[in-house]
Amino acid sequence: MSAALRRRWLWSALGGAVIVLLQGCVAGGGGYYDGGGVDVAYGADYYEPFGYVYGGWGPGYRVGPPRGGEGWHHRDYGGGKAPAYHPAPPSRSMPSIPSRHR
Amino acid sequence: MRWPQPLPRFLGPLVCLLSLTWAAPLLAALPAALPPLVQPASNEHHVGKVIWLELVTPNLAAAKQFYGGLFGWTFQDIHTPSTSYALALLDGRPVCGLYQHVIPPGEHRQPAWLTFIAVRDADATQQLILQQRGQMLAAPHTYPQRGRQGVFSDPQGAVFAILASSSGDPADLLAAPGEWIWSSLIAHEPDTDAAFYQSVFGYEVFDSTQESESTEHLILATDDYARASVNALPDDSARRHAHWLNFARVTDTEQMTARVQQLGGQVLVEPRVDRHGGKVAVVADFSGAPFGLLEWVEGQSKEAMQ
Repeated sequence: MSAALRRRWLWSALGGAVIVLLQGCVAGGGGYYDGGGVDVAYGADYYEPFGYVYGGWGPGYRVGPPRGGEGWHHRDYGGGKAPAYHPAPPSRSMPSIPSRHR
Repeated sequence: MRWPQPLPRFLGPLVCLLSLTWAAPLLAALPAALPPLVQPASNEHHVGKVIWLELVTPNLAAAKQFYGGLFGWTFQDIHTPSTSYALALLDGRPVCGLYQHVIPPGEHRQPAWLTFIAVRDADATQQLILQQRGQMLAAPHTYPQRGRQGVFSDPQGAVFAILASSSGDPADLLAAPGEWIWSSLIAHEPDTDAAFYQSVFGYEVFDSTQESESTEHLILATDDYARASVNALPDDSARRHAHWLNFARVTDTEQMTARVQQLGGQVLVEPRVDRHGGKVAVVADFSGAPFGLLEWVEGQSKEAMQ
């Protein structure tokens, strides 16, 4: 193999390798949903921990939205433990979800 | 350095050409992007509102069949060589996205819905989250047309996303049946988790716990609208972790839970009357991704009563 041919082959192969590497970077994404994310995926790997068990929702366990206007529990924290959050002022009434139609 | 036997002159250029052939579709796919959140663009912004949801599923085709059969959603595929994604539409309006991520053999993963909360500035919010001991799972990134979004977990481990929509946030309207109407954060310590979200999103926090109740029930609000509840994790099982649970509006929870089962899903919490007078249920799709069903009778809100 002549030196010129060897150089040409070397540079071509090197160019190919660079492109393959670049391709790997593009496909790798680095987004949230793992690997493939070009522009609609966000990355890593959003799956929750496996083995979650639902249940234990007793009769008083409520998750739904308030209807609005109803009273809410503004605790008297004078002598007790204050919550970690800042409660809404007592003058505020409990809001509801939007009711306006499209 | 010893070279092998003379190689054909065309081999190097051929490698180059083949590589370009592989890479070209990927590079060409880069501009492919999610559509704007709001069309036409609005100038509305509702920080703290849940404005988007995305399902991460191992089987996109099966997910389309399940949710299409349940809610009547139709789908618009956004495929790239490495990504399978579908926009779910209801009456032509985008309601959420479905993203396929195949679970490698031998791995046990729990498919789930990812909750996107509106922010004005994703990078400033990132700083707040980190200051408040949240963790960054995916740094904010700009997606053409959509905006800038990132994925985080709160100090108790619940995963959520933030989205600074470049087209504005959806208007505050009553969700139609088949649209997402409500979200609940189920946390180990509602009190401290509410403080975290209040610091980050500026929520007003209302304690809705009744005297007779043993579990804390908080309401997060912005713009004078309730945005989400924060509930305590039932403590009778160790196999539970903090998470966001999103509810789709339905007109008949009993009927819909039966439909879920017909479509290969399962009922996790049977239909039950909740605080607003309508029934709620928690179900899982065919792959185990949990979500809620919630009846909301019109006229139940304060505005409507006025």
